[in-house]
Amino acid sequence: MSKNWYSDLPQYYQRQIKAMGLDEAGMNRRRMLKGMAGAAGLGLLGLNTRQAHAATQMTYMCWEGYNDPRIIDPFNKANDTEISFDLIVDSPGGFAKLQAGASREVDLVSSDMPWITRMGPAGLAMELNPDDYTEVYADFYDQFKPPFEPLMNEGKTIGVATRWGWVGPCINTDVTKPEVWKTYDPVFDAANKDKICVMDWGDWPILPMALHAGINPYEPLDEKQLNEVRLVLRAMFKNTRTLVGDLTQAQKGLLDGSLLGCIGAGSYLTSAVRKQGHKNILAIVPEPKNGLKQGIIWVEATAVLKETDQPELAQKLLKHVVSKDAAHALALLDSTCNVVTNKAVESVFTPEEKDILQMDYMWHAYDNSQMHRVAPNIDEMLAIWQEELAAAQ
Amino acid sequence: MDMEVSRIWRDPELWVKALPSVILQTTCFLAPLVMTFILTFQKTQNFQLNWTWNLATWTDVFTKPHYWTILGHTLFMALACVVVCIVIAFPIAYGLATRFRAYDSEIKVLITFAFITDATLKTFGWVLFLDKKGAANYLFAHLGLPQETVAFLFSDWATLLGMVYNLLPFAIFTIYLSIDNIERSLILAAYDAGASKFRAFWEVTLPLSRPGIWAGSVLIFLLGVGVFLEPKVLGGGKSPMSAELIRQTFETRVNWPLGAALTLVLMVVAIFVVLLFSRVAGMRKAGA
Repeated sequence: MSKNWYSDLPQYYQRQIKAMGLDEAGMNRRRMLKGMAGAAGLGLLGLNTRQAHAATQMTYMCWEGYNDPRIIDPFNKANDTEISFDLIVDSPGGFAKLQAGASREVDLVSSDMPWITRMGPAGLAMELNPDDYTEVYADFYDQFKPPFEPLMNEGKTIGVATRWGWVGPCINTDVTKPEVWKTYDPVFDAANKDKICVMDWGDWPILPMALHAGINPYEPLDEKQLNEVRLVLRAMFKNTRTLVGDLTQAQKGLLDGSLLGCIGAGSYLTSAVRKQGHKNILAIVPEPKNGLKQGIIWVEATAVLKETDQPELAQKLLKHVVSKDAAHALALLDSTCNVVTNKAVESVFTPEEKDILQMDYMWHAYDNSQMHRVAPNIDEMLAIWQEELAAAQ
Repeated sequence: MDMEVSRIWRDPELWVKALPSVILQTTCFLAPLVMTFILTFQKTQNFQLNWTWNLATWTDVFTKPHYWTILGHTLFMALACVVVCIVIAFPIAYGLATRFRAYDSEIKVLITFAFITDATLKTFGWVLFLDKKGAANYLFAHLGLPQETVAFLFSDWATLLGMVYNLLPFAIFTIYLSIDNIERSLILAAYDAGASKFRAFWEVTLPLSRPGIWAGSVLIFLLGVGVFLEPKVLGGGKSPMSAELIRQTFETRVNWPLGAALTLVLMVVAIFVVLLFSRVAGMRKAGA
């Protein structure tokens, strides 16, 4: 027996729907939800007639910045679409929302790569055929061209990398030297007590500390290794001045010199300050330690939802987001600036923009970093974080 | 008396009148609460909610001491906030209600403004003031005091300051209303009976303003156990309170059953503390 959009409803309503012919009118749950959302939206917004005339409505779950009008407006104009946004404030939250049912309404998602990767086994992401993206990948840096293992699930590509950066110490060169940060040792130096800031962004500060302890967090860990992670976090909390969740707080501390260094962040934090002219703020990666690369490359990626009712248009939007002009806008937002995966954008960057993005440093950072992907024991490490934080009170 | 109560319960008009409230409470409070409780008996696997009945979450809650450490810290901070707020709010409310009666309307408007000013804005304002390179240290340095005289940002003291600052209007408003409603003739009668100003205050004004103090205390305590911004922004995140723990569990760990269990624990403990205090307050009142 086939399942349709109204089969969960009581029998009475199912009969009514059949009687009204709605079951054969191409109506489905997604369209009904979108129609309801659209109607409600129009009602609330006082009937914005320009938007109401768009032929197709789409929903895009993404970080702030991907919704920049410079990126979206040309697509809407060219395709007669109206895109509504579901802005995420953290990747796990976005993933949980999709799993809780938002996948029925969302067409496209841009999020942190591990969470895009997780969409594969969770059955949320549509498998992409790299052959359909030949033109897109032609402009990409080789490092992100298929087969790009971190974005593959059982040999199938499930997303396209959009922008990236590196996780490493963020410093103010007026108060410290990059040479000092060739390792994470300054984080634990008693002389730096109350001068270290840790970004409280889920796994972001945990993974570099694990690497510093000689543990590769991207491999399955045993109890002994998890205990090493516990010890290094305990030591880190001893010297920490503050854990911040807000970029501006860390940026302010770095700028005024009250913080010597910030860990658990990287180019995502420093670039916006550099855009304001503070070129003394740098994101660097430590040197490899005992053969283990200490930096982390974070990547944001975009995937098409399996349940989208507009797969072609959603893929078109995906291709648009990584296109040269859109990627240029995405690289230089007001809130954060980051390098993108599209190499062709280099030709439109000014020298000043390249300097903001530390493009002369990016491949050094890449070569000395792990690629951020799903860490098998991340939940245990997050639990350890909570325990050690409570114990440090 | 019993017959009267029984008659009231049989009154259909009462039921009709109560129905909207009952429906609202059931759908908006009771049903989500039951759902939250049910959620605690499920588990998450690969960041996905798995509807398998088990007691793993509750075992985790009752065997990991750090949840209780954070809860204890939360209760302590909320109670400290209540004490400080009441101590500061009472003289302010008393002064406003007795000495500045001519400006009654203006005062109420000003207190209302305190409620509608964004707490995020006010809290971040304190960071700019208290920071090592902030306005306070800048002023002290110009007065010849040592560098970084004010150095308690990112500590529990800063968290408490933020909590008191943001929650104080609740105490001022409730106590102010309570004092404002005291019959002036009762105080005058005390004076006529020979009471000194202090004795009239102690034996008439203070007991009669107790409902305001109590209402303010409960309000501040319940809001205090749920604070999220102050420990994060002013406390530096190093002494997390329960709300942050719950947020981390729901959002970062995507462990909804554990988040739901921690939420319920916080609710139950907070209600228990309020009931305990109301009982103690009631006993003292009866004793008096």
